[in-house]
Amino acid sequence: MGSAGTEGGLITARDAGLVACQRCGQVHAQDALYCKRCDGRLQSRDTESLQRVWAWLFAGMIAYIPANIYPMLLTSTLVERSESTIIGGVVELVEYGSIGIAIIVFVASVVIPIGKFLAIGYLAISVQRGSQDNQHQRHKAYEVVEFIGRWSMIDVFVVAILSALVQLNTIATINPGIAAVSFALSVIFTMLSAQSFDSRMIWDVNRTAE
Amino acid sequence: MTDTPAPRPAPLDVRPVKQPMWKRLSLVWLVPIAALSISLWAAWQNYQDRGTLITISFENASGITAGETVIKYRDVTVGEVEDVEFADGLTDVLVHARIDKTVAPYLDDDAVFWVVRPDVSVRGITGLETVLSGVYIEGNWDTDPDVAQYEFVGNEEAILTRAGQRGTSVVLRTGDGGSITAGAPVLHKGLQVGYLEQPELSFDGNQVVVSAFIESPYDRRITSSTRFWDTSGFSVSFGAGGVSLDVSSIASLIEGGIAFDTVVSGGQAIRDGQTFDIYPDEQSARDSLFTDPNAASLQVAVLFEQSVTGLTKGSEVRFQGIQIGEVDQLNAIVVGEGASAQVRLQAVLDIQPSRLGMSPESTPEDALALLSDFVARGLRARMVTGNILSGTLVVELVQIEDALPAIVTQASGQYPVIPTTDSQISDVAATAEGVLQRINDLPVEELMQGAIDMMDSIERVANDESTRAAPASLVALLDEARALVASDDVQAVPGDLRKVINDIDAIVTSTAEADIVADLDAAIQTTAAAAANIELATENLPELITQIEALTAKANALAIEDLVKTATDTLASIDRLVGSEDAAALPASLNGALDEMRGFLEEVREGGAIENVNAALASANEAAQAIEQSVSGLPALSERANQLVAETRAVVNSYSERSRFSAETLATLRDIQTAADAVSALARAIQRNPNSLLTGR
Ligand SMILES: [Zn+2]
Repeated sequence: MGSAGTEGGLITARDAGLVACQRCGQVHAQDALYCKRCDGRLQSRDTESLQRVWAWLFAGMIAYIPANIYPMLLTSTLVERSESTIIGGVVELVEYGSIGIAIIVFVASVVIPIGKFLAIGYLAISVQRGSQDNQHQRHKAYEVVEFIGRWSMIDVFVVAILSALVQLNTIATINPGIAAVSFALSVIFTMLSAQSFDSRMIWDVNRTAE
Repeated sequence: MTDTPAPRPAPLDVRPVKQPMWKRLSLVWLVPIAALSISLWAAWQNYQDRGTLITISFENASGITAGETVIKYRDVTVGEVEDVEFADGLTDVLVHARIDKTVAPYLDDDAVFWVVRPDVSVRGITGLETVLSGVYIEGNWDTDPDVAQYEFVGNEEAILTRAGQRGTSVVLRTGDGGSITAGAPVLHKGLQVGYLEQPELSFDGNQVVVSAFIESPYDRRITSSTRFWDTSGFSVSFGAGGVSLDVSSIASLIEGGIAFDTVVSGGQAIRDGQTFDIYPDEQSARDSLFTDPNAASLQVAVLFEQSVTGLTKGSEVRFQGIQIGEVDQLNAIVVGEGASAQVRLQAVLDIQPSRLGMSPESTPEDALALLSDFVARGLRARMVTGNILSGTLVVELVQIEDALPAIVTQASGQYPVIPTTDSQISDVAATAEGVLQRINDLPVEELMQGAIDMMDSIERVANDESTRAAPASLVALLDEARALVASDDVQAVPGDLRKVINDIDAIVTSTAEADIVADLDAAIQTTAAAAANIELATENLPELITQIEALTAKANALAIEDLVKTATDTLASIDRLVGSEDAAALPASLNGALDEMRGFLEEVREGGAIENVNAALASANEAAQAIEQSVSGLPALSERANQLVAETRAVVNSYSERSRFSAETLATLRDIQTAADAVSALARAIQRNPNSLLTGR
């Protein structure tokens, strides 16, 4: 234990025989079961965490497949009716010369979700393997993933707003496609996955490796 | 820190007894499982519901876009194009499409596909929605599932007859498809009741074949005796009925059209796909109703002696005013041999037995038998004027009362010959000739002959020996006769008559030889003068006749037979007398009278004219009356001739004017025709390339 603390230059709460309330931050003795302040359940380590991370992650990835296959927007105007998928929309935007918007859409709809999958997967695997590398960076990555998660919904918001605004009957109508729902689910599942991750485990390598 | 050694063994012990994996499994795993299963189920469902892939090959796939172009059946989307590619060798464009599973079984070999594009025609604009929405593929098939097909050849044009549409399709044949376009209307009593499909060349290339679809219930009007005719454009006919301009609907003016009608009842019901001929116009279509084009016709020949100018191949053959056939050939043949050989003009008539009122089954032989029977009872062929303006002739079979007996002969060659009678050609020249003929027919000849006969008898009497030996009373009679003959009146008669006759002769020859129409006026005037002469001469006649009658009475009173008898009786004594000196001293007066008489007779005879005043003076009387009648008829006659000339002139004048008029009319019509052609060309151009109307190119 001492070695663990000395090696990383850090002493974990667990090493100190303490457990912090996840909700309000109140520190208790390790054997406390409930938070004396908020009555929340205390758990030094969430042993089910990784399971849930993987489960949500898989769910998010599964949902991400139809989100890319099926059309995001169903646009019907007087002249034509078009369905655009995420990638199709990006390609179209590039073709129209709106590189900036294309990049935003591409980043928000493709780079971020996939990056999140990779990041969460990497974090989960690294924790499982008890990696000792880059603990600080991994923790920061986790913070980023958690923070950025809500912004992944930008696509869904755009679709929702467009669908709500552009309802001009025969002249022009925009409706959300299946992909919008799938994408939203994917984002939600990924956020849940990220939240399920108990970042404290990043620092537990020494103990588990012991 | 002190705690740590104490709990240490516990966790170590706990770890191996970790609960089995499945017990520690979080419920959260249900989420990805559910997501996965939903996804898989959806994918499977999608795969299951995925339509049947079909391939349609088009020559031109303009406007077809993969993923966008839909396939519609009766305006309902039943599929979507998935891919468009070229066939091997870039021959065709292959359009791969998914068709709804529920519809796919109906796509059997009657399924057709075509691309719906905007179409502008004189019948209206169709497919306008595709201007904005882009083209789509329309399919059509019937509602009976059959052996499903997966590869189709697309039509370039929309089909006109939808599968399952109620109506009847017939096949029309024509020699010239120039006036027929796909979609052109089929009219019945002016209403559009159907339309034409795409015309095609027949298999042997001799005819144009086009399917026509007649919608229900109008198709019930079609029977085997229905006739179709071309109503395209407009027709101008200049015939016996005058000028007629016939224009059907505007659509048919530009696109062409077909009309039909069933005039006679009793036709048989038709089956789908029955073949009909398209007649060039309504008249010929209706005429053909009485003809079965396949029925054998009877060919007979007619030999005409006079010119057949105006008779052409195709001229009508009429029997009691009804057309029973037409002239099939016209040629000259030699009749007889050697010195008696003559050239005759042979018209071969094509006679339809059915039009003679015979049953449809009757053969040409039956018809010939019937005709032979008619001929034996006086049926003759003649030419009559069909159209007085154009001078066309028709052959008419006519029943002649009191005709000379004749039969149908086979003499001239391969055709039986129907005997002819005088033609009735109401030609202008012929009518003028008729007038002169009637003048010629005045009974002058009879009169002259009667006069000659009478003179002969008188001469005979005069020459008779017994007359010579006539008693003194006879001498006295002869004196009187001499006095009469010598009288100025009688002497004047031959001169007058001769003059009249010369005049008439001159008229006849001059009018016959000279240009009839030009000289007709002059001729009529001369005739009038002649008539006046005759009238003048006739004025003297009654007196003359009275005298002659008196003479006859006297001559009759003489009771010539008795006279001859007594003369014979006295002949002996006369003989004796002859022998005697008295004979030599025959009264000089008698000789003188005879001489004078002879001289008179000589003069009359030399005049070649009269030698007249018949023994049967009654006949002279008749002759005189006849002359009187004809003379009284002459003014009317000349007036008619005058009128005729005036009419002829009017006709000739108006005809020349009219020819200019008709030239102008024709020019105008030609202009209209050109305009119509231009409109038609424009319409066709637009039909070929409808976009030109929209894009302005
Ligand atoms: Zn708490």
